[in-house]
Amino acid sequence: MADTILKPEELQPATELARKTLEQLDRILLGRKELHRLVLIGIFSRGHVLLEGLPGLGKTALVRTIGQILKLDFKRIQFTPDLMPGDVLGTHILQETSSGKRELVFQPGPVFTNILLADEINRASPKTQSAMLETMQENSVTLLGTTRPLPQPFFVLASQNPIELEGTYPLPEAQLDRFLFRLLFDNVDAGVLDQIISERRRGELPAPTWQMERAELEMLFATMGKIYLPRPVSRYIARLISATHLGAAEATEPVNKYVSYGASPRAAIAIAEAARAHALLAGRPSVGFEDVKVVAQPVLNHRLILNYQARFDKMNASKLVAGLLAQLDETGLNLPKDVEVAAA
Amino acid sequence: MPRLESLLKSNQPIRAIMNAHSKALRTFAGRVRRLFLLRAGIQAATVWFFIWGTVMLAAKMAGEHQTDWFALGLLGIVPLVFFAASRIRRRLPSFESLRAQYDRTNFCGGVVMAEEIADMTAWQKNLPAADVPKLRWNSGRPMLLFSISALFAATAILLPERFARFSNHKSLEIGQIVQQLQAEVKTLAQEKILDDKKADDLQKQLSQVQKDATSNDPAKTWEALDHVKEADSDAAKQAAEEAISKTTAIAQAETLAQAMAQADDSGMSDANATEAAQDLAQMLASAKLEEGVLNAQIPPELLANLNGLNKEQLQKLLKALEFNKNSLGLTVSNLAGLKLIDAATLAKCLNAGLCTNGCDELAAYLCNCTNANAMAMCMKLGKGGPGGGGPPAPLTWNDGASEKDLKFQEHALPPASRLDQAQLVGVSRAAPQLSDAEIDAQHGALDNAAGSGGSAHLQVILPEHRQAVQKFFEREGN
Repeated sequence: MADTILKPEELQPATELARKTLEQLDRILLGRKELHRLVLIGIFSRGHVLLEGLPGLGKTALVRTIGQILKLDFKRIQFTPDLMPGDVLGTHILQETSSGKRELVFQPGPVFTNILLADEINRASPKTQSAMLETMQENSVTLLGTTRPLPQPFFVLASQNPIELEGTYPLPEAQLDRFLFRLLFDNVDAGVLDQIISERRRGELPAPTWQMERAELEMLFATMGKIYLPRPVSRYIARLISATHLGAAEATEPVNKYVSYGASPRAAIAIAEAARAHALLAGRPSVGFEDVKVVAQPVLNHRLILNYQARFDKMNASKLVAGLLAQLDETGLNLPKDVEVAAA
Repeated sequence: MPRLESLLKSNQPIRAIMNAHSKALRTFAGRVRRLFLLRAGIQAATVWFFIWGTVMLAAKMAGEHQTDWFALGLLGIVPLVFFAASRIRRRLPSFESLRAQYDRTNFCGGVVMAEEIADMTAWQKNLPAADVPKLRWNSGRPMLLFSISALFAATAILLPERFARFSNHKSLEIGQIVQQLQAEVKTLAQEKILDDKKADDLQKQLSQVQKDATSNDPAKTWEALDHVKEADSDAAKQAAEEAISKTTAIAQAETLAQAMAQADDSGMSDANATEAAQDLAQMLASAKLEEGVLNAQIPPELLANLNGLNKEQLQKLLKALEFNKNSLGLTVSNLAGLKLIDAATLAKCLNAGLCTNGCDELAAYLCNCTNANAMAMCMKLGKGGPGGGGPPAPLTWNDGASEKDLKFQEHALPPASRLDQAQLVGVSRAAPQLSDAEIDAQHGALDNAAGSGGSAHLQVILPEHRQAVQKFFEREGN
């Protein structure tokens, strides 16, 4: 808990930076403003984002643009079945030194960057996918007993194609849990498409008119750490995560019916951090219940492991989370059923 | 976690200066407290009204009469208040929760909640306008239950006791007694002892008594049955007395008429015949056979010509008198069959006016008597005449009386004089209070038997036990 609350003049610079970033993103990439907002929230929360959508929807463009705006190093790995962990993390190469001795010199892989686009991550073998676990959680790479930290900040923005399942390896739950958000890329409407065709020749993106300096980004991260999370809100997050578990006190009927395993404590942390980022974007020094509701869906929709009954009944995690958010009383007032509180 | 009431009193948690949101939050907390109070009060009152009404109904069914239910109901408010207060104390939400609710409802984004740790005055201008959240109580069901319970309690207060007892109705088995009384009334009506209207009234009264008979108040039923029984007995006794009187007169007239018939054959003088005929006419006139409930019927042509009856008319008169006597005897026998009169009365009626000496002497006297006045005196004396009573017999006290070939006439014992003189002064369920003298008179030899190891037990048959006792003694084998 923060000991002090940010004053308006302390919060305002960070909020303006975040809003400028979002404006640039919305200006460069047309449509999907809410998605841009969530991606930025994920980055400000120092989380990794899994982008799921069909080819050609602009996933790579989004990541590249973010890298440009934040002035961060950006690399892309196209995951394939024959991709090896060394191709991602780096490898030791035997080199001859000036003294004539031969020694193994570490050649960093593409993971040593600030923003890593792991394209079609589910096409890589589990072995290669597992190579990402340490990098995503510890922000470091350990090879031959030597741990090397990754440059900060470090974000993984991975994409996966939901329809071409042949020759793919579904991400294990341990890796899915390391992604802060799973965001679904859907098609843009005709108006946006018309705007893209008419304003973007050959799909070329305009250059950003403003870029965030490294110091500004650090200041933004520092400010976000001071966003206050009230106890009722933290209790709400905890109750929400608890309610995703089978047989929990506040678990809904669909949860008990369809969920095999609920969300992990990492999910609760992710919601709290993402809610802070959302509050910062909104220009508030504290987190409200609405912040939690906005970020709960992308945080939880890849963390619930459903049973076979859910497949039969065409139930998915998004519907379950939506039901939970609708039914769970945020404030925990435990008002009698016949008493309601409504806005004036 | 601090409770709302203490927080409202202490002002501790609200660190910020009083601003619009703080005022609105206080107002909201006050509304929540009042709503919870009202809600708990309604619930407690609903429960209390149901309990109160149920207790009242149960007491009324049990026959409790003199309880001030309204006062008791008001006394129940005291535990009601304690009950509601305890419920409020346990269920009232914490101030922290209410503040969170206020924050959420007003879209304050956690700023109001942050007042918990810091002064948020600087952020007030960024917040939406302060509005007190509205509390909506879906009071339909609780108020419906409250109304029902209140109505139930009011009904229980105002419900007459007879309706409360109706629900606890236990019939009293009086069918046999009613049947017997109906048979009595029917017989009395058939014998013209009771007129039709009176008989109908009694029959209706019996039916109503049987219909209304409950074991809750058996005394009332028994009193009504006793009333009918008494009416039947009075009418029967009156008829029996009348029958005795008329039978006596008819028997005397019959004896005289038989004697006149015999004397006429034996050559009775005209003067004597006239005197006897006048006596017969006076006798029948004074008997007033055509009056009363048991009116005997003598052919009017005979009554009109009593002074000049020929032999054939005299025989007709004799037959008419015998018919009426038999008719009266049959009526009285019917009454005795229904036990409306005792056997002594029956015997008295059947033997009324019998001439033990026969009428031969009277016929001879009518033939031989030359003094009409003497004859008239003799007639007035009743039965017998000169020379009656048999020859004188010597009186001896030495030999014991022999009972050989003797037959004793059975007489039912007359009811005790105490019962004859009894009067209904009231009905009580308790054992009757008897004076020592009465107990002595009843117990006889068993009185003062405590010294021999036992004591006489005074067994009082209460009205509601009468039928059971009666059935016991009417069993076969008794």
